[in-house]
Amino acid sequence: MQASEDELRAMMIGGLNGHAPSHAALLRALVPLLRAFYRRRMQGGEDDIEDLVQETLIAVHTRRATYDRDRLFTPWLFAVARYKMIDHFRLRRRNCPIEGLEEILVAEGFEDASNARMDLDRLLADLPPKQAESIRATRIDGLSITETADRAGLGASDVKVSVHRGLKALAARIAGERR
Amino acid sequence: MNVETLIDTLSADVKPVRRHAVARRIALGLLMGGAATAILIAIGLGIRPDLGLAMRGYSFWVKWLYTLSLAVCALILVARLARPGRSASRWLWLLPVPVCLLAVIGVVEMAHVPQAEWLAMWLGHSWKVCSSLVLMLAAPIFVGLLWSFRRLAPTRLRAAGAAAGLAAGSCAATLYCLHCPEVSAIFVLTWYTLGIALAAGAGALLGPRVLRW
Repeated sequence: MQASEDELRAMMIGGLNGHAPSHAALLRALVPLLRAFYRRRMQGGEDDIEDLVQETLIAVHTRRATYDRDRLFTPWLFAVARYKMIDHFRLRRRNCPIEGLEEILVAEGFEDASNARMDLDRLLADLPPKQAESIRATRIDGLSITETADRAGLGASDVKVSVHRGLKALAARIAGERR
Repeated sequence: MNVETLIDTLSADVKPVRRHAVARRIALGLLMGGAATAILIAIGLGIRPDLGLAMRGYSFWVKWLYTLSLAVCALILVARLARPGRSASRWLWLLPVPVCLLAVIGVVEMAHVPQAEWLAMWLGHSWKVCSSLVLMLAAPIFVGLLWSFRRLAPTRLRAAGAAAGLAAGSCAATLYCLHCPEVSAIFVLTWYTLGIALAAGAGALLGPRVLRW
């Protein structure tokens, strides 16, 4: 169960008056509160959240003189927590590792490439198998006409004609899709 | 570290906190910085020899009231920005008040003087050094306030830095009055205000770096 504003405030004022058990009880009560606060606001891992919770507890302890006893406690607490979160992000951004950036770039390149491949597969699937295979072998896999002919057991001129007809058909289809 | 261990460590030593701890802390930092600035003025620049006489004239008090009231406004802002989640915007309107009042006095003064003397009034004897001296003398007070902030919790670092710079500048200008023999209101309005504004700007620049906690 989470402590209410009144309970927290009473513990905080107890701590300010020098009563150590109230202070310890306050810090203990803040742990679940702060964990929930940070979990709702960040996607970071549990380690980050745990770090922030501890940093905020330390800040609540060292900066407790800035709490005004006549005011509500939770707005003060969450202002401290928010500051710590922003500070945390600021620090992370400054130390942003380059390999993280590369991963993002590579992943985006991969997506483009796989999209292109899917488009190509869709187009080639509509052609007769002989034309599709010839195009794939010569234009995508980079084989020569003779290599393709040997692999498929066809004549070289047959492959050439298949590639030519297939490309013409594809061009006509793409032009048709555009229209 | 485990949270439990951390909490045990933190609550091992719980000193009572006095009610006006924030105000005390700011006042202490201000006093330490102010003492350093006062010593610098006394040794480096010298107190004006006719200070006793000048204190009987009105222009000394105009200057002093101007810089003092700016200092009070700035310190209100500092005290608000030193606490998390408090905004200072409600008090910002106070700042232009002394500036406008001094401008009125300046215009009245100019109306009583022939136009040929206006330039001399405005530039005085020390316009070249006045602003930069105020800025330099603000540095020790700014450092004193930084010491105060080490136990405080500003969440808007740039605004808090600017307020601290403004407070340091206007307190430095207040002390600088002990040396500066200038008398005209438009001199003070221009060159003192420029020095104070520079100090506030420097505070705003430094704030995010030096006030982090």
